[in-house]
Amino acid sequence: MNNIAPFAPVSAESLAWLGTGPIPAAPYYDPAWYALEREAVFKRSWLQIGHVCELPEPGSFIRRELEVVDASVLVVRGRDGQIRAFHNVCTHRGTQLVAEAEGKQGNFSCPYHRWSFALDGRLLSAPDFERFGLTKEECTLPGIALEICGGLIFINFAPAQSLAEELGDFAARLEQFPCASATNFSEYVYEIEGNWKLTYDNFQENYHLRFIHPRSGAAAAGEENPFGYPVKYEFQGPHRAQTIWSNPNARPTPVQAASFGRLGALAMADGLVGPTARDYLALFPNFFVIGSPGQPFSHTIWPLGPHRSRGVIRLYWKGEDDSASRRYAREYSMASARDIHAEDRNVIEAGQRGLNSGALRHIHFQTQEALCRHFFNNVSARVEAYKAEQTARPGVPA
Amino acid sequence: MSALLPEGFTALEAFVEKWSVSGTAARAARRGESTQAEREAFYAAARDLLTPALAQLDSKPLPALDAAEKRLLDMMLSLAHVALAVEGLGDDEPRHATMREHMRITRSPAGI
Repeated sequence: MNNIAPFAPVSAESLAWLGTGPIPAAPYYDPAWYALEREAVFKRSWLQIGHVCELPEPGSFIRRELEVVDASVLVVRGRDGQIRAFHNVCTHRGTQLVAEAEGKQGNFSCPYHRWSFALDGRLLSAPDFERFGLTKEECTLPGIALEICGGLIFINFAPAQSLAEELGDFAARLEQFPCASATNFSEYVYEIEGNWKLTYDNFQENYHLRFIHPRSGAAAAGEENPFGYPVKYEFQGPHRAQTIWSNPNARPTPVQAASFGRLGALAMADGLVGPTARDYLALFPNFFVIGSPGQPFSHTIWPLGPHRSRGVIRLYWKGEDDSASRRYAREYSMASARDIHAEDRNVIEAGQRGLNSGALRHIHFQTQEALCRHFFNNVSARVEAYKAEQTARPGVPA
Repeated sequence: MSALLPEGFTALEAFVEKWSVSGTAARAARRGESTQAEREAFYAAARDLLTPALAQLDSKPLPALDAAEKRLLDMMLSLAHVALAVEGLGDDEPRHATMREHMRITRSPAGI
């Protein structure tokens, strides 16, 4: 006897507060709107740029290039164990200090004139420094606000509030996700001729699953829920979440069953199976992370221009590969996630080409694309607030 | 001459050259460049050996695996990729391979 309650979609009434009208199309292709987003969204939001497992020891560092804000960011674990973020620029004349993507160093020395900085950003020494008429304190590396939640590293160039405040209840949930205890990860990366929001939207609605993933995603839909719609949506400020529906009648194929069975057993042994296993968080502006212990992926979509983006997908693992079974299970998990993600790219690009024509003034979201609507509403609100702020600045005509 | 694979897995010896591949990205690429006949033949031979192979390999830590055991593990890791094509995608695999090429594997605990 099946005791699982039958699927019921989230009601339109409960989502009506998001609005039901058409959405302007221009923000998905217009370079002028994109320029506003860079200022209003990316220079003022908490951005997910790494994981603590990438910085295991004092001196460990990662460098991240954030094209959307023209910034090179250096994230470093100091001798005191604290993780800090700095602009990757020598305070002498702006030369980028670090060329390597990751590594471990005792200090950072500029290749140009050998200014040398400590792991906490202090200037240690500079040749002939007396001739500058400066103090070393004036030459500290410019810092960037950094917070950690669920093992994930976030930075913000101009925070209005802390990450913890902004995430609210989502913060505690994130601390229960597999990423929170991860020590290692798999990663794959793609570039796409697609606006970052158009790309992001694809991964927060299930309306397309049966058409774009008819085979690879077959287990995500079923007779009672043919579109594989989520069982719940949640909203927390600019962030949102869905609870993924679990198909009680899914019939896995032989190797698929053996592989996910093994993943499940390992996750259980590692204490990773908890109440957040079906939760899929969409953190504003450009980050997804899932609580599934079998396929614990995150997905960050970085704008590269109004019509181009880069996706970075990681699967976070707790512990090293200590057995053949564990290595196999992780290989299958990553390969199967990659199979599904690969199928989305072409159709997103087709959407971008269609929008670029300017033929549409509006696009449309149905009730079960509520997360896309919430996302746009929040981007739009920030852009409009930024425009108002610029207009109100002294000396700027209204 | 020593056996290519551990005892009990000699039925897979004909597939060693094609499917004992080191590195996750290399295995994904091998799947992408293989023919349907190659994938189906390997899947048919390896599918029922997955569970016994992992059970045997799990008896040792990974660094202690000998050359034959390492070959067997790499073949099972290739099976992870091949099974997705055979069980899931069928005749859509060639089209799918062109889409997967854009998903560049940059890191794996198994090495890339």
